[in-house]
Amino acid sequence: MDPTNKFWWFAGVSIFISLLIFIALAVFFWQQLLPDQQSTLIEIIKSHFIYIFIALILFIAAIGFGLDAIFHSYILPLNRLPEEIEVIHTVNPNHRVKRDGSKLINLVIDAINDVADHYQQLENDVTARVIEAKSEVEKEKNILAVIMSELPEGVLICNRDGQILFFNKQAKRFFTGKKEDRRVDASPVKNHKPQPFPFFGLGRSVFEIIDRNLISHALDDIADKLAKETSGVASYFVLIAKDGRHLRTEMVPVLNHQRDFSGFILIISDITSQLEMNNQSDLRVQSLSGGIRTSLAGVRAAVETIMEFPNMSADQAREFTRIIYQESLKIGRLLSQHARKSPDRPRSQWPLIETRADTMLEKITVKAKHLLQVGFTPEAYDDDLQLSTDSYSFSLAVLFLLQRVYDETEVSDFSCRVHQTKEMINFDIRWQGKPIRIDTVHTWEDNVLSLPDMGLPLTLGEIIRFHDAELCPYSDTSQGWSGLRLILPALPPDSAALTRQPTIIPDSRPEFYDFDLFNQPGQDPAVDNRLLTELTYTVFDTETTGLDPRGGDEIISIGAVRIVNNHLMADDRFDQLVNPQRPLRWESIQIHGIQEKSLKHQPVIAEVLPRFHQFAEDTILVAHNAAFDMRMLQIKEAETGIRFINPVLDTLLLSSIVHPAQENHNLMTIAERLGIHVSGRHTAMGDALATANMFLKLVPLLAKKGIHTLQQAREASEKTYLARLRY
Amino acid sequence: MAADQPDSASRPRGRILIADHEQGTTIPLKFLLEQSGYTVWTASSGETALQLIVDDSPDLVLLEAMISNPDGFEICQTVRETPQLADTRILFVSAMARDVDIAKGMASGADGYITKPFSNSEIMDHVRKLLEIANGSDE
Repeated sequence: MDPTNKFWWFAGVSIFISLLIFIALAVFFWQQLLPDQQSTLIEIIKSHFIYIFIALILFIAAIGFGLDAIFHSYILPLNRLPEEIEVIHTVNPNHRVKRDGSKLINLVIDAINDVADHYQQLENDVTARVIEAKSEVEKEKNILAVIMSELPEGVLICNRDGQILFFNKQAKRFFTGKKEDRRVDASPVKNHKPQPFPFFGLGRSVFEIIDRNLISHALDDIADKLAKETSGVASYFVLIAKDGRHLRTEMVPVLNHQRDFSGFILIISDITSQLEMNNQSDLRVQSLSGGIRTSLAGVRAAVETIMEFPNMSADQAREFTRIIYQESLKIGRLLSQHARKSPDRPRSQWPLIETRADTMLEKITVKAKHLLQVGFTPEAYDDDLQLSTDSYSFSLAVLFLLQRVYDETEVSDFSCRVHQTKEMINFDIRWQGKPIRIDTVHTWEDNVLSLPDMGLPLTLGEIIRFHDAELCPYSDTSQGWSGLRLILPALPPDSAALTRQPTIIPDSRPEFYDFDLFNQPGQDPAVDNRLLTELTYTVFDTETTGLDPRGGDEIISIGAVRIVNNHLMADDRFDQLVNPQRPLRWESIQIHGIQEKSLKHQPVIAEVLPRFHQFAEDTILVAHNAAFDMRMLQIKEAETGIRFINPVLDTLLLSSIVHPAQENHNLMTIAERLGIHVSGRHTAMGDALATANMFLKLVPLLAKKGIHTLQQAREASEKTYLARLRY
Repeated sequence: MAADQPDSASRPRGRILIADHEQGTTIPLKFLLEQSGYTVWTASSGETALQLIVDDSPDLVLLEAMISNPDGFEICQTVRETPQLADTRILFVSAMARDVDIAKGMASGADGYITKPFSNSEIMDHVRKLLEIANGSDE
């Protein structure tokens, strides 16, 4: 309701009530009067009505003004307050409530404004922290992006549904044809009719850019490999980009920490030009060796004939000599021609991966039935025969052949025999019916592989060539059998296939993400004033022959880990047994369980300390009951010349700062109190790890006590009672 | 193109066609085989070779796979699919020497495959053996 309306309602009602009371009083007064008094009063009112009327008007006006004052200094400001407060905590923390009420109301307003000041400051702090945290993340992301974009390979990461989560510049270029990077040759492939590029971007489906059949083929392959727990789990295939480039693609599964499939990484490299080069050099080598063989055959035949028939006519002998001369000239020409050509560059193979023949035949049988409605029965093959193929394109080629033979002969029942000879594998497709002419096969070789719902923009001939294979018809007319034989060389498989392991997402954040290592401020004299959360620590523990450093007890083991940027670097550790060059005490063996014989071949302390010193350089040393361990180190100072001048923090003391009421501050008790799991108790490494975890939990607790910097922590340590205990 | 006509009556031991486009091979080979008493033709293109095989039905064809129009493999397949030529022996003598080439030649129905360069005795051994089988099956 409008404040003015509110006021009129308020004033109207107030005046109405006042008048009601006044009239009631007047009526009551009238009835109390005697009749002659009443007539006298009427008389008086009649003659002096003007005074009474003015008094009445003034009375009403006074009530009105009074009400107005109350309304403006109490009711209106109070009425506004909720709205103003709402403004402060929603849209504008800078807003303050205006002081325009009564004294009392103004006090309330002041209090509200104070709260608002406080609130604003808190919010600014939070915003600043958010910005800081964001910029860290942004920095890490940028570094990652730079590294990824410098890779020559395209990288594409998808979740299990095929949604693109990440890609680098190269991957984008492969799939969109954009030449962002000039170092990579991106000229379109010859003889290829370019097709429009698909949309490409984060969150889009990978199936928009890569044939669904190809992806599911590879995923099946990976699932098989994961189930069989083979050593390499990647799947390889070649995909043809819209501009005709040949992209060798490696699919590596991503598993979560429970080893469930949660996505895949595609690593893509462009092998177009290498393949072209290979083909050219293959052709060159073939023509060279063919030419040499031919000419050599002439030379040899002629020479052998002359030797064999010494009595041949002079004409004949001259003829043969001429052949020898001419053919030797030819060989010379061939060789010098070949030498002029550029030397061969490293070969890139079409990724041929060993697959069990039975697995592949099974898959082809299923697809033949579903896609082509023809029968394909594997008939005879060695049980553990392996085929080196690009399984997708090879299967496609076989299906393509089945379809073509069906079109040509109307045979719909095929069998298959695979057998290995010396260095080759014959892959025979057989049927009862008329044979296929070799020139028919030649025309098929020029056809692009396309089947209902499946296909590759490559010709049959290309696929055969990439497999270094040959295709030829054969027939056994007496039995009525005809067939097509794919002759495959038994090639060694790609070595990469044997080594690629699945990527497993760890439960926690991997340490190498801590990119801030790159801009550490280095050795800073103001290290004392830095926040505990920013410093680098070496958390360590020693095991000794006994508890008396002065009495000649020696270190037998040092374990240490690093804490960087408030993260435990569990992999960056120092773990070393030490030969104490003295017998172990029986009691100490009971504690650490280290036997004398296991120390005999370990380095002595004079060799170990310099390395540990190096490990701990420029860090803050942290230990539990540090005084003891520092003493052990210090005693060796004279002997080794190694001085540990690092600042030291003691978790025992820090714990007693945080929990002064607790009496027990030994490692196990603190660990239990702070909820830390300790494994490998009383090994130097196990205790160092426990201490490090403890320290990480103590830092925020110290902050609550107002201890934020190294200096504050050290000063507070000194004050605690336990600090006076000296070894 | 070059098709020397032999007088077959006086040379009963065997009739051989050399189908090769390289004279460096055909001339010594023809001389060698003729010295051993065989009747020899030569053909330097695939077309001529196929024509001569159909017309004159030689006992043995020495075939270079690299001969063109049609190539050696195709010639071999055609011969194997023609019942009247069932007795014609085919021996590849070819500069195509990869394992897959040999496998392809044998798959197309050849009786043997010799890679260039060859020795005269190697050729003669094969020729003798193949013609003995041919004659054996004839008689």
